[in-house]
Amino acid sequence: MHATRGLHAGLKRAAVLLCGALLAAAALSADTRFAIRNAFAEPVAGVWQLNVIVETGLSEPALEALAEGIPLTMILDIEISGERRFLPDATVAELQQRWELAYDALSGRYVVTNINSGAQTTFATLDEAIETLSRVRNLPLIDADLLEEGRRYEVSLRASIDIGGLPGAIKVLVFWRDWSQSTDWYTWSIRP
Amino acid sequence: MTRRWLPLAIGSGVVVWVVALALLAVTTRDSQEFGRLQPWILVINAAGVIVLLALLAGRLGELIRERREQVPGSRLRTRSVALLSVLVLVPLLIVFTFSVLFLTRGIDSWFHAEVRQGLSDALGLSRAALDLRMREYLERTTEIARDLEGQHSAVLFSALDDQRRRSDADELAVVSAGGRLEAYSAAALLQGMPPAPPDEILLQVRRGERYVSLDPAANGGYVIRAAVGMGQESSLKSRRILVAVYPVPQRLADLAAAVQGAYQQYGRLSYLREPLKISFVLTLSLVLLMALLAAVYGAFFFSDRLVQPVQDLIRATRAVAKGDFDTQVPRASRDEIGYLVTSFNDMTKRLARARGEAEASRQEVENERTGLAVILARLSTGVVSLEHDLTIRVANHAAGDILGTGLRERAGETLDQVAAESTLVAQFLAVVRPHIDAGQTEWREQLSLKAESGRREIMCACTALPVEGDEPGGLVLVFDDITQLLHAQREAAWGEVARRLAHEIKNPLTPIQLSAERLRRRLLDSLGERDAEVLDRATHTIVQQVEAMKQMVNAFSDYARAPAVELASVDVNRLVSEATDLYHVQDARVHFDLQLDPGGAVIEADRGRVRQVLNNLLTNSLEALEGRPEPMVAVTTRRVPVNGQGFVELVVRDNGPGFHRELAGQMFDPYVTSKPKGTGLGLAIVRKIVEEHGGRIEAENHPQGGAQVRVWLPVDEAARGAVVPRDARKQEPRREHA
Repeated sequence: MHATRGLHAGLKRAAVLLCGALLAAAALSADTRFAIRNAFAEPVAGVWQLNVIVETGLSEPALEALAEGIPLTMILDIEISGERRFLPDATVAELQQRWELAYDALSGRYVVTNINSGAQTTFATLDEAIETLSRVRNLPLIDADLLEEGRRYEVSLRASIDIGGLPGAIKVLVFWRDWSQSTDWYTWSIRP
Repeated sequence: MTRRWLPLAIGSGVVVWVVALALLAVTTRDSQEFGRLQPWILVINAAGVIVLLALLAGRLGELIRERREQVPGSRLRTRSVALLSVLVLVPLLIVFTFSVLFLTRGIDSWFHAEVRQGLSDALGLSRAALDLRMREYLERTTEIARDLEGQHSAVLFSALDDQRRRSDADELAVVSAGGRLEAYSAAALLQGMPPAPPDEILLQVRRGERYVSLDPAANGGYVIRAAVGMGQESSLKSRRILVAVYPVPQRLADLAAAVQGAYQQYGRLSYLREPLKISFVLTLSLVLLMALLAAVYGAFFFSDRLVQPVQDLIRATRAVAKGDFDTQVPRASRDEIGYLVTSFNDMTKRLARARGEAEASRQEVENERTGLAVILARLSTGVVSLEHDLTIRVANHAAGDILGTGLRERAGETLDQVAAESTLVAQFLAVVRPHIDAGQTEWREQLSLKAESGRREIMCACTALPVEGDEPGGLVLVFDDITQLLHAQREAAWGEVARRLAHEIKNPLTPIQLSAERLRRRLLDSLGERDAEVLDRATHTIVQQVEAMKQMVNAFSDYARAPAVELASVDVNRLVSEATDLYHVQDARVHFDLQLDPGGAVIEADRGRVRQVLNNLLTNSLEALEGRPEPMVAVTTRRVPVNGQGFVELVVRDNGPGFHRELAGQMFDPYVTSKPKGTGLGLAIVRKIVEEHGGRIEAENHPQGGAQVRVWLPVDEAARGAVVPRDARKQEPRREHA
């Protein structure tokens, strides 16, 4: 009897521990969630513009790397494809936007650089910098003339964060570490 | 073609692999170079490992198979591969262990706490220097703001520009509390709209605080950004804000950038500390693994080079053991193995030569032996080689013929064993044994053996064989049947006697007869009756005895006379029929049983002499049958092949008393007779005639009683030369063995 009771108690304790561990993991994953929360495109003055909100939770290695002065690179891959009957969709346009987030130890500021344009902004806190990175506003996507009116197009979007400037060989050799984060493809359709 | 390209492919592969390995070592440290190539470099290295592993697995499998099949040389190969592998493995592992140790310790040594502290201190120092400058610029900005207070918007720009020129500022801007730009002055030519001040400046100033910050510039340097409110603090929301941007002095900027760079680099290395260690150790392990695999493969290669000549030698040795002396091993190297191979090749050449010579001499001996065997087989002289214990080693056919038993087939048995089955051999042994028991090895003796068909005179000589190596020397008995020779000698002697007797006796017989007749004629009438009767009886007896003597002398004369044989075709069956008819007429009591060959029995012979043979034989039988109940004479003729030649066998048998046992062997001698009235010349003449015709005669007692005489006569000239063996009656063709 005593043994059975002991076993039950042990099982109960194990179940509690497991639940705790699962909750902790869920909390951790909520903090480091990296996903595209919302995205839409609209034509503004003859140009389709993209607006994206990315939920940017940085992973532990990424935060460590940033603290040690290693820049992070955020890449936004955008693909527009036109729907075709009986055939695979045709890719109309592909573009990539890259930003770099770095910590400047001397000034104690976080620097966000748009690699495509070279524009640089500095922030006193990491949250501000991440907030800026998370919101892409009015990014020119494609000239409206290039899209056929009435045809259905699909816009696919994917963001990824990479710990930049590291030797590729190390990334391959120490493959089990999270060297980069990536969102799933976020796809929606537009009809000019 | 493949063989030509294979070394090139292997060489290229090795070069690519070595380059990839070197690149891997470089790229582990620095990502800037060969960035795109890195995965490929890893792939090449991994592929190298896989290729080597596959090659090694193949070789290992081959080695295991060879060991299982016990291929010669596989043990040596295994041992050499294992030894070479261990020889390579041990130092490599030692080097690897120490390298890992040094590597991890070396990497750890970069991250001493003092280094980080030093860098932090340097950074702090730089900050302190810049802080001083920042405070100074903040104060200056405050002064400018104070100067600009109350300036109307219309002149604000010129006042601002004036202030900028007087100060060190790169940019001066006046913005509203909401962030709207009211005036702006910059040292550099502005392209496009001036940038709006960051929100944090507006927020801070609106809270009534002054703002100063060190900002990293887009061009790589630093700028100091300061902002202060203009006007009364009470009307915060309507206050204007002065934002100034100052350059950091070049010298200070360079030093600060250097410190920042060093700090950042250190941070980067610190971050990569563990991954670097892992990747270095992994790279080292990869290099070690490849070196190890290459070394083991090399061990296989070198063991091949080492074992191949040994395997060739083993193969060649086996071939030589099987008798293939033409085997030559290819010489692979100029070292000791090569010397061994050369020596082996020399040895096989010499062996081949020696074998050739041995073969030639063996062939010669064989030829001689074959010749000897042929000679022995053809010899009419019997030759028997014996051990000292009388075991037969070799015997020729003639020995068997003479002794009446096939001695040749009984090689390995002793003469005693053969003697138990053969009376002739027993008699022969009885003469031979005393000599051998007495230790006599060289002797010669004439012996007389009693056979059923007659007495055989044998001349036997013995000699010792020389001792050959370990083989003890034996004895050789050489014996010859000299019955014929003795008979011929005796016949010649008797012929001479007969001729002289005929000559010496016949001459006085006629005068004796004539004288007796004359006496009788003259005195018979003149004498008295009684005297006349005596004279008549006496003269009659004289004449009668003289006549008998004449007949006897004529018989002698016939025996001695040897006229030329006149050959003609003679039908033996017919002669038999005629003769038996004649005798049947003379004595009807006798029953003649004729069994004549229905195929005919025609021979080439002298008719008169053959008839005489038949008459003598029939006369002998009839004389023997006198007074016997149910007298019977059986005459048989038949054709028999002897040595492939045609012979006619004539057998005359009676149911009389047979030959006297004491006369056995002498029945054909002249003056040997068992009859009271016989001259003893009948069978002697028969044998003489038969031998003149190239035939053979045998006389014996029939098992069922009575005498039996067998005569073989050749059918033609070709058969006349054939030897009629003593066992011709068995009708077995004689076999001669070379």
